[in-house]
Amino acid sequence: MFTLVIGGAASGKSEYAEGHALSLSGRRVYLATMHPADGECLARIEKHRLRRVGKEFETVEQYIDLANAPIPAGANILLECVGNLLANELYDRLGDGADAVLHGISTLLSRCRNLTVVTNEVCSGGANYNRETLFYMRELARVNRTLAARADRVVEVACGLPHFWKGAP
Amino acid sequence: MIFVTGPLFAGKREYIRRALGLSWEEFARKAVWDVQELAAEAADLSALAAELSQKEIVIATETGGGVVPIDPRERAAREAAGRLACLLAQRADTVVRVYCGLPQVLKGEPPC
Repeated sequence: MFTLVIGGAASGKSEYAEGHALSLSGRRVYLATMHPADGECLARIEKHRLRRVGKEFETVEQYIDLANAPIPAGANILLECVGNLLANELYDRLGDGADAVLHGISTLLSRCRNLTVVTNEVCSGGANYNRETLFYMRELARVNRTLAARADRVVEVACGLPHFWKGAP
Repeated sequence: MIFVTGPLFAGKREYIRRALGLSWEEFARKAVWDVQELAAEAADLSALAAELSQKEIVIATETGGGVVPIDPRERAAREAAGRLACLLAQRADTVVRVYCGLPQVLKGEPPC
C-alpha cells in the first residue's frame, strides 16, 4: 500500500506518518532525506531522530538519488520528506531534478512492502514569490500531483488530524 | 456554471477538463481561469462575477492563505480575490476544490 501524507509546516504530518508506519508489521526503514548542511538542519535531524527512539525503525540517510538507496527488499518504508528531497535534487550540484524524485519513488514502490511518503503543501499562500521560488513550488506541486494520482491513500494532515482525499483510514 | 478553486498548481484545469471529457480547445472555449487576477481591478465585484458566470467553467486560484501582505495594494487584491470567489461560489451550481489533483465537491453534484 502506498500512502501519501501531505500538510503544511508543523501540521503534525510526520507524527501521523510515523504512527501509520508503526501500525504496519514487518521490517521498518526510515528513509531520511535531509542534507546536514548547517546547524539548523542538524538540530532538526536530531529532533526527528529522538522522536523515533524506541520505535523500531532502521534509518537510511539518502539525500539525493533515491533509486540507489540501500533499502532491504520487502521492507515498510517511511520516506521523509519530498520537499527536502526535491530541493536537494534541484539545487545540489549532484542533483538531477524533479524526475529523479519520481523515478526514485517508483523504484522504492517496486521493492518495498508498504510505502509511506511525507510531503509538503507550499502552494496555499498566494503567488507573490520570486521566479525561482515559484519554479520550486511548481515542481513540488507536479511531483505531489503525480504521487497523489498513484497513491492508494492521500492524507492531508492539519492540526495533527487526518483528512482522507483518497482511500480510507 | 461550475466553479473550480484550490491552491496554486493544484491541477485545477486538468482535473475539470478530464472530468468533463473536453479537449483543450473545447476547454479554452468554455472556461475562464486565473479570475483571481481580475478582482483587484474590478470596480464592481458582483458585476464581474455575473459576467464571468456566462462561462460554463470558472476557475480561481486560492490566494487567501499565508500571512496578510504588508503592501496595501496586495492586501486589497487578495481581499477582492477572496470576495470574488465567494460570489462565484454562490452563483455556481457546482463548486469543486482541487488539491493535489484530487477533487472535493463543496456544492452540488460531482461534475461528469
